Amino acid sequence: MRNRATTPLSKPKVRQSWSKYNLFNLQRMRNPPTATRTFFQQKWTAKSMARAYHGEQVRESQWARMFSRRIRSVVPMQAANLAADDGSNMSAGRGSGLDSDINLSAPLTPFTQMTFAPLERRLDVAIFRSMFASSARQARQFVVHGAVTVNGKKMRYPGYLLNPGDLFQVEPDRVMYATGAPKDKKERREGRVARKQAAEQPEPEAAKEEGAAEEGAEKEAESEEQSKEEEKINPRETLKKLLEQAKTIMDDSKDVLAAKRKQELRGFQKAVKRVLSRGDSSTVLKDNLESQFSDLITALKAKRQEKKGSKKVKRSRSSEEDSAAATTSDAQPGEALTEAFRQAAENPDDVDTSELSNEEFDVLKRALVQMRDNPIDNTKPYATPWRPRDYMGAFAHIPRYLEVNHSICAAVYLRHPVARPGYSEVPTPFSQAVGTAAFAWYLRRR
Amino acid sequence: MPPRLQGQLATNPLLPYISSSSTTTSSSLSNLPTQYSSQLISCSSRRTNRSFSSAPSSQTKHRNEMFAWLNTGGSRLKDHKPGRTNYLWPKTEAGLESMNRDLKSSHPFPLNKDYISQPILSEELRNEIHTRVVFKKQSIRSVSVDLGVDMRRVGAVVRLVTMEKRMKQQGKSLALPYARAVHEMVPTTPLYYDVSEHRQHPHESINDLPVHRLTDPQIFYPVSESRQFNRVDAGRVFSAAPALERREAAENATNPAEVISRITQNPSRIERVGKGENEQEVLQPADARIPHPHLIQYERLAQSRSTEPKKNREAYKQAIMQEETAEKERKRLAKERQEQQLTKVQPDSSRFEFRFKDVVVSKETTGPDGRGHKAPGRRYGVPSYERKKGQVKIPTQVQV
Repeated sequence: MRNRATTPLSKPKVRQSWSKYNLFNLQRMRNPPTATRTFFQQKWTAKSMARAYHGEQVRESQWARMFSRRIRSVVPMQAANLAADDGSNMSAGRGSGLDSDINLSAPLTPFTQMTFAPLERRLDVAIFRSMFASSARQARQFVVHGAVTVNGKKMRYPGYLLNPGDLFQVEPDRVMYATGAPKDKKERREGRVARKQAAEQPEPEAAKEEGAAEEGAEKEAESEEQSKEEEKINPRETLKKLLEQAKTIMDDSKDVLAAKRKQELRGFQKAVKRVLSRGDSSTVLKDNLESQFSDLITALKAKRQEKKGSKKVKRSRSSEEDSAAATTSDAQPGEALTEAFRQAAENPDDVDTSELSNEEFDVLKRALVQMRDNPIDNTKPYATPWRPRDYMGAFAHIPRYLEVNHSICAAVYLRHPVARPGYSEVPTPFSQAVGTAAFAWYLRRR
Repeated sequence: MPPRLQGQLATNPLLPYISSSSTTTSSSLSNLPTQYSSQLISCSSRRTNRSFSSAPSSQTKHRNEMFAWLNTGGSRLKDHKPGRTNYLWPKTEAGLESMNRDLKSSHPFPLNKDYISQPILSEELRNEIHTRVVFKKQSIRSVSVDLGVDMRRVGAVVRLVTMEKRMKQQGKSLALPYARAVHEMVPTTPLYYDVSEHRQHPHESINDLPVHRLTDPQIFYPVSESRQFNRVDAGRVFSAAPALERREAAENATNPAEVISRITQNPSRIERVGKGENEQEVLQPADARIPHPHLIQYERLAQSRSTEPKKNREAYKQAIMQEETAEKERKRLAKERQEQQLTKVQPDSSRFEFRFKDVVVSKETTGPDGRGHKAPGRRYGVPSYERKKGQVKIPTQVQV
């Protein structure tokens, strides 16, 4: 299907898209003039404006069949009001209540803004509405390319009409690609290089097993070198540096350039790896964040303790035992180790943690979390670490008829969209004048 | 060749409803900041430059306008502001952005006042719902009332969070940075520290009454002034059912809660009116058609004896219990009935189970004239439209 959903600037149409062209068109859109135009012309203009946004991928005849003049609506009821009156107060007297002060001034229900509600049932539109794709066209592509499941089964029809209770899910990677900032030239190049390397690598990997013994020898040599380095580098300094880097990473202010942040992140990653490899545990990159964090802390703490031990005479046996207990509990990942660590931090005897406040540990931990959740990975099709694409916030809203879980990129279509007193649930950029005229167009009395 | 006019700008005759931004800026030049006017000057200077040069311009006028706007008025929209919405602002007639704050923060479309960006559930509230339903075994109905979330949404949240936990366990990659960013952009309903706060500020209205088709027409129905005309009577009028007898109406008035629970617990026994095709259920009062009818009785008790809140709560709990047991029983019976219609065959050497269902050729499937094409089997004179052109083959439902 050819994509006719362009967002030109000269003959502007507002589309279901997050592009900046569309944002500009949306910004300069005005209500169409009505003073000098016939009713037919007004309806035609309104219909063509509205159809360019609502389901432009659907043929006109198909949409005309989907159109329904019966619009779903609800009235929110108050249990207290229902309990106070069984309706006879309202109908008392001559049929409109004895009291003249019965408040009936509820806001009007915008029925005609619901003209295109049947289209919101379509799978591709629902994917766009739950913010899994940057345009309805892209959502459609995801469906056609087999990245979408409905109730756990692959669904390849973008025109599938969701039923209330249907759960649809898009592959998280595609969503990250659709909503993330695009790669720049350099990142694309890095990705190409990485892919090329990955393509070349399988052969050396096969040879790796044969030369495992040699590598082991090499590793030992490396570790010896590292141990030499350890003596040189003050662990306290490393910790300080790590913390500083972590703080810059966690700093969300815009004046820190993205490239610089990325450099910091890389440096942090490297430093963490170095610290971890220096420790006794051989796990350089652990999947479990808790264990990684605990390893990091113990690696740093252990060194400090040694240093202190050399400086001062062991003050008390009990504190030593405490720390020893902490280190043993550190070996097993989980909440217990953080608790133990916090206890050690609270203990005034423990001089190790006196320089690090809880906040600083928190910063370190958060930086680690971010490093795990949002890593630099050039093989991904989006800029890493992931950040939202430009102008995404201007289009960010989720209608109530969907319940969306963004971390797994899944959503449930709860019910059909309805109109309520005061507002309608169909997201449409047009005012009620356009909506009413478009509704009148499809009533087929033109 | 007609002479070229230097001073005139091409207007947009095709779509007069989209005004070009240059006209708006020029019309309200006096009250604009200097940024705009300088941009205007640069625009005009460029125009004069271009007329003397024969080289094609790199950008069209519209593109220039667009990038000018993106660098000035639109620069605010480029990055989101965590914890706040960042939408286009509606413009007033003067072309200036209006300063109404809640309009700005909740309306993503500047022209459409009827669509509001409503808050979504926050991560904590979602987890709270999940723990209440899955671990504390609370009923969906009571969780919905306590936290002010629609029952369908509660069910969906439980499904989604369970799925999320399973995916985490399997070690599948989640879109966490994306989820965090979206929750920063969109308004969210927090989990209040004091849970009773949820009753005062619910996430959404939980007692929505769907507007019934029968209530669309306005009916003029004369009633004597002495008569108590309540919602039950109005429903009967709308569905053209005869009025209740006076004795029955008086009985109903003495115990309204019992009447409603009788309806909600036995929905199949609702009175029907009409003949043949036009047979339909009598329209029930709003008290029975809202999702939480038991709340009305609770309120009624609270209004009548406000000094005994403990008793009220007990009665309320009992009402919920009754409602739930009745619902469970109904579901069990429906399932049993379905099982009876099915014949299951599982051959020893097969991993499949075959399920057979008897064909029912009745008035419901074949229609009153026996020619309905939805009914199974071939009947003389009833063509099958299965292979006809234009038949839509997209599945209509996905069952697990």
